[in-house]
Amino acid sequence: MPSNQTLYLKGERNIEVTKQDVTLGDIVSFECSDKTLIPKIKALRILKIRKSGKQRFVISILKIIACIHEKYPGLEIQNLGEQDIIVTYEEQKTPAFIWHIAKTAVVVLITFCGAAFSIMSFNNDVDVTKLFSQIYELVTGNSTDGFTILEVSYSIGLTIGILVFFNHFGKKRFTVDPTPMEVQMRLYENDIQTTLVEDASRKEEELDVGQSNSSGGYRS
Amino acid sequence: MWGSQILLAVIGVSAGIVVAGGLFSFIIELGVVADFADRTHTADKILLYEDSVAFGGILGNLFFVFQIEIPYGFWLLPVFGLLAGIFVGCWAMALAEILNVFPVFIRRAKIVRYIPLFILSMAIGKGIGACLFFFQRW
Repeated sequence: MPSNQTLYLKGERNIEVTKQDVTLGDIVSFECSDKTLIPKIKALRILKIRKSGKQRFVISILKIIACIHEKYPGLEIQNLGEQDIIVTYEEQKTPAFIWHIAKTAVVVLITFCGAAFSIMSFNNDVDVTKLFSQIYELVTGNSTDGFTILEVSYSIGLTIGILVFFNHFGKKRFTVDPTPMEVQMRLYENDIQTTLVEDASRKEEELDVGQSNSSGGYRS
Repeated sequence: MWGSQILLAVIGVSAGIVVAGGLFSFIIELGVVADFADRTHTADKILLYEDSVAFGGILGNLFFVFQIEIPYGFWLLPVFGLLAGIFVGCWAMALAEILNVFPVFIRRAKIVRYIPLFILSMAIGKGIGACLFFFQRW
């Protein structure tokens, strides 16, 4: 039993598993100077899922450390990753490809029509047409016929603005930064994960040390 | 003559860029599209959704500013109306969400149960309100 060694572990916040016996290797990654120790620790079982169907568990890192200490007392453990890990259990199934395409198509249509509607309602709301004729008269002194350089250049400017804002067109990116929607997507996922963890700890459903629900006494 | 045309062009381009930045960050930052992608588990397609938003904005603006006629418009109209309605509905709710309307009311009124009912009644209320608005030709 190596007692002067340190085991480092790092876990992602959100893990998906497809089998009912969840071992430590499924949810966190390990590093230790004693390489023979790692596979043994990875094989330790942390969770046994009894019910079938999609379900979620929130596991405290303390529970994982306790699980290792049970077998290897005296081993020093350093957590470098998340403190609470969300484990989502889903039975393995091949997602219907057509269904995925259909959903994507619907979202594409909604966002397309929604964006078109938004820009039109914005133009309508601030009365761009009238403003353009006022600017046109101010600058040239003549009255507008509704189709001038101003409308053309506004449309070009709008196109440039949208493409610069979204930072890509099709697969071609203008800079290496992530696009605003990718950032927003991550923020949204982060919010959801924080909510899941805090919900679980508030309802005391989190698998933590000092509780009897060691094998997933999850109430739904 | 040329001077004023160039000035107009500069005004137009800058106005367009600023409007695009403002309006589209409003759409994206409220997380409407991220919401759609998350609900449908198609987060891998968000670049496509961004293209779709960009196309919608560009074409919608062209149709509005130049009053272009769309063929078969009569049949496309209900489809467009439905999809735009879904988008605006999500948008309005996302705005309320960002402004923390729900947490404030739920906390003040000490509502702990039946929250789905309130959401349902709000959705129906918005729907009836929109119907009334158009029915009365306001």
